[in-house]
Amino acid sequence: MFGFSVVVMAALYGLWWYAMRRDPGEISDQQAQRHQNRWVIWGGLALPIGSITLLLAFGIPAGHRMLPLPPAEGEALVIEVKAHQWFWQVRYPERDIELINALVIPANTPVDIHLTTADVIHSFWVPRLGGKLDTIPGRTNVLRLEADRTGDFHGQCAEFCGAGHAHMPFVVTAKSAEDYQQWLNNPDARTQGDRDD
Amino acid sequence: MTDPRARHQAFEKVWGNLPGFGTLAAVNHTSIGLRFMVTGMLFFLVGGLLAMLVRTQLALPEQEIIGPEAYNQFFTMHGTVMMFLFAIPVLEGLALYMIPKMIGARDLVFPRISSLGYYCYLFGGLIILSSLFLGIAPDSGWFMYTPLSSAEYAPGPGSDFWLLGITFVEISAMAAGIELTVSILRSRAPGMTLTRMPIFCWYILAMALMIIFGFPPLILGSILLELERAAGWPFFEVAGGGDPLLWQHLFWLFGHPEVYILFLPAAGIVSTLIPVFARRPLVGYRWIVLSILLIGFISFGLWVHHMFTVGIPQLAQAFFSVASMLVAVPTAIQVFAWLATLWTGRVAFSLPMLWIFGFLIIFVCGGLTGVMLALVPFNWQVHDTHFVVAHLHYVLVGGMFFPLMAGLYYWLPHISGRMPSERLGYWGFWLTFIGFNATFLLMHLTGLLGMPRRVYTYEAGLGWDWLNLLSSVGGFIMSAGIALILMDLLLHFRFGKPASRNPWNADTLEWATNTPPSAYNFGSIPDIDSRHPLWDDPGLPDSIAAGDHHIPEIDHGRRELLGTDAIGARVREVMHIPTNSWWPLCAALGLALVCISLLVRVYPLALFGLVIAGIFLFRWSWENGAHPKAAPLGVNERTDPPLHSRTTDGPGRWGMIVTLMADATLYLSLLFGWFYLWTVSPDWRLPEETRLSTSGLMATGVLLTLTVFRYRRLTERLRAGQDSGLWPASVQTSVLALLHLGSLIWVIASAGLEPGALAHDAVLSVMLYYLLFHSLVATLASLLQSARIKLGYVSAHLPYEAIVLKPFWIYTLAIFWISYTAFLLLPLAWGGSP
Amino acid sequence: MIRRLWQPTHPVHTTLGLLLWALWFVVLYGGLSIVCAVAPPAAASGALTGLNGGLLLLTATVLALLAIMTWRCWRAGKAQAPGSSERFMARLGAGAHGVSALATLWIGLPVVVLPPCV
Repeated sequence: MFGFSVVVMAALYGLWWYAMRRDPGEISDQQAQRHQNRWVIWGGLALPIGSITLLLAFGIPAGHRMLPLPPAEGEALVIEVKAHQWFWQVRYPERDIELINALVIPANTPVDIHLTTADVIHSFWVPRLGGKLDTIPGRTNVLRLEADRTGDFHGQCAEFCGAGHAHMPFVVTAKSAEDYQQWLNNPDARTQGDRDD
Repeated sequence: MTDPRARHQAFEKVWGNLPGFGTLAAVNHTSIGLRFMVTGMLFFLVGGLLAMLVRTQLALPEQEIIGPEAYNQFFTMHGTVMMFLFAIPVLEGLALYMIPKMIGARDLVFPRISSLGYYCYLFGGLIILSSLFLGIAPDSGWFMYTPLSSAEYAPGPGSDFWLLGITFVEISAMAAGIELTVSILRSRAPGMTLTRMPIFCWYILAMALMIIFGFPPLILGSILLELERAAGWPFFEVAGGGDPLLWQHLFWLFGHPEVYILFLPAAGIVSTLIPVFARRPLVGYRWIVLSILLIGFISFGLWVHHMFTVGIPQLAQAFFSVASMLVAVPTAIQVFAWLATLWTGRVAFSLPMLWIFGFLIIFVCGGLTGVMLALVPFNWQVHDTHFVVAHLHYVLVGGMFFPLMAGLYYWLPHISGRMPSERLGYWGFWLTFIGFNATFLLMHLTGLLGMPRRVYTYEAGLGWDWLNLLSSVGGFIMSAGIALILMDLLLHFRFGKPASRNPWNADTLEWATNTPPSAYNFGSIPDIDSRHPLWDDPGLPDSIAAGDHHIPEIDHGRRELLGTDAIGARVREVMHIPTNSWWPLCAALGLALVCISLLVRVYPLALFGLVIAGIFLFRWSWENGAHPKAAPLGVNERTDPPLHSRTTDGPGRWGMIVTLMADATLYLSLLFGWFYLWTVSPDWRLPEETRLSTSGLMATGVLLTLTVFRYRRLTERLRAGQDSGLWPASVQTSVLALLHLGSLIWVIASAGLEPGALAHDAVLSVMLYYLLFHSLVATLASLLQSARIKLGYVSAHLPYEAIVLKPFWIYTLAIFWISYTAFLLLPLAWGGSP
Repeated sequence: MIRRLWQPTHPVHTTLGLLLWALWFVVLYGGLSIVCAVAPPAAASGALTGLNGGLLLLTATVLALLAIMTWRCWRAGKAQAPGSSERFMARLGAGAHGVSALATLWIGLPVVVLPPCV
């Protein structure tokens, strides 16, 4: 996408520069009309329509994969995240586990994050794991995430939420299936992270 | 009177501003346009200063130069000032200044409205700015997302400043929108058909219409949010049955068209300049008109792309995603039409062209990132990061500021009669261009690396440090460039070389005026038979000044314009327009009093301000038609063409209809809010019992219907040239209208709604007050009209005013029954209580 | 009056197609939102729902209308003298209708592949 954009941009700049520099000689109105049709139809219609086709052919399936549709087998793991000014309250509904500013998830497993808010609109975002989703008063939004490796991932609030907006980070720790089970049975990290307000 | 000097002096006497402080009563479009532009530039400096403070804070990680509270005020005010107090008003000012000169008119058709618009802008801007100096500026971001901007999470007066101040400023945008639309459609020089209009006028026509349909949703949203903050009506509060997402819909329903409202006039500048410097008519005029139309419509179908992360079904997102990408088509058509023009022409390179080239580089880059952002999965990743900040600055600075500077340098000789300095101008351009790219090109990367927008500081070591530092350095280079441009502008008024007439050898009529222009622009109005009047006849300026064309007379002492029909530009009437007037300033002061007393929450004073503003506005409307200060009936009346107040279709009727289109958009936004809350608000609740009397409302509706039918008969008889029994008929109308008004007030007062408790009742109340407002205004206008009939200002010979008021009565009737159906009957059918 | 407006050379036709497009867009988005709020089809049934079918039918109708109008304007433009105002308006109308049709087609396409309410 970026490569294609850069090519289009460079070509356009070059053409424009040349058009300003070149000496066309005498051009009749009919010739000008032909130039117009050539440039406008190819550049103004064909180019954007072609590019949009390419983008959509890539974009719609990519978006589709990120939807929280029921997975082919079993059920996605559900974690509830409630945003506050200015910290994240994380709950595992099937276990009695509650964390602040930290999530622990199994790697290579789809996880559904159920997002709510206690006050204003926030936005839950882990840049390396996927897109962001807002927390809206009165609604529950579901974000599908899947970590393809173990390790720590940095996350933060992406929707401006007041004075503490800059200080609302959290950490997502992806563990292997065994480590995750072990952690579930012995969640020593119950108080992991601290409120930052 | 053939002596040109004597002619000029006679015209100046009629058209000039009053001396001394009297200049505050000026209504002339050249004066008002310049005031808009100069005021806008001053606000631009404030906005730029705020940007510098923001970049200083972000230059290094973990700095505490500016705390989060002040930082949040600064970036909110930066966005607000740049958008609402700089970008829109400056472009409006340019359009107000330029349009009459381009279409061969002496002024806009509603000069007092230009003046009212300017004062609303000035006072509103000063009120908003004062919050910054008091340290209580709005701090919820320029799009004011609720609940962050609500009374609970923003208890200070900051949000009130924003909501009230911006609504006040928006009066000026609406005023400009209405008056530009009517002027372009009805006062072009004879023979200037739609197809012969300068391309700039097409852009401005589209911009004006977009303002008319784009701004009302925000005005409604601001009123609702202010009502929620001040009176606790829960439109956006989940607990009361409201929904915060409704604000986002209303805001972006305005917010996205707004971007194109800024881009269109700027693109119009580009389309005007390129043919002049390529010395070749614009290639693909029709293609460009087509793309203007497309942008005008498609840009209203994109607003949800600002809301891709709020959790809307993906199919709905896909509609908006595709629509957003489709906007690339009209933009590409324009870019390639410009390219083709340059391709077939021999380009004279000069300062304005340099800015145009800068525009192209920056804007194309911003356009491409825009197409990327329209892609939903990519948007989920970079939404609300510095990537978006970079994109929007590329589009707005590239798409609006750079063409504006090109236009400024191009038209500077027109405004001042002097040429700017080439050398200072080049330095200014290159510093701005390099500084801009250093700031914002890198910011794309900062955003891709995950830096969210609107954070007042960031941790070191996330890979953002050097990027931010370079961005800040770039920002300061850019401000140095702008300082140089400013210096160039100021110096040129004194040291610039005097400009020759039409120094760029342009083709459009604005260069047929004097430079600097006289107050009346044209001594006579020429017939136009091509798109390039000055290329076809370089002697045109002289014959215009000599009075060789239409309406060269001035001894009648009236300010006169030529009224032509909208499509074919055939002469229809002579419009006589008002001269210098204090009423706009008085009315704006009254409205400023309303705004300030709402801010400090002294409601009786606000009501008082509203009443006096209303009195001033009605007083203003009194000086029309055959009033001694307008065009009293004379012995030797013009008959061919007649004066517009002696006809049944003048600018006032067009102005009324265009205003009602804006009004209808506001009403539709309210209907949208009503249905939106009914269907998707998470906690929507109905009151336990029906409180509003359905039959009572029906009865008052019948009275309203009778009133309107009575009035309609009156106007039909006037149209047919009969004025026997006019006065009794008008009195009957007024009595019926008063009965309707009284019963409507009774129905509202006895309804016992609880707008503070339920969003349902809150929306219903707003609807009822909206109806009441229209009935009240229509009734008052009818009463005044009865008095004018008695005074002989309305008669078979002067049918105009009655016909101007008619659409307003019909609109009042229409919204009444639509409301009755949508707010009462439909919910009943749905199975709830209204 | 109506008869004059219906002439393909009248400037009204430069916005008629776009207005139709806008109306269709509102019904498309509004209809989807209302059905999803009141009676959402199951997510598992994918794009094969009555809702998608209804929206598709609507899209096809609008598309056909716009195509006919494009053709009408184009034909009318051919009959007018080159350089005349009538030809300009008819050609402009054809372009506006044509792009409206294109926009309808493109924006309507996702209805075929995406489930409606997820």
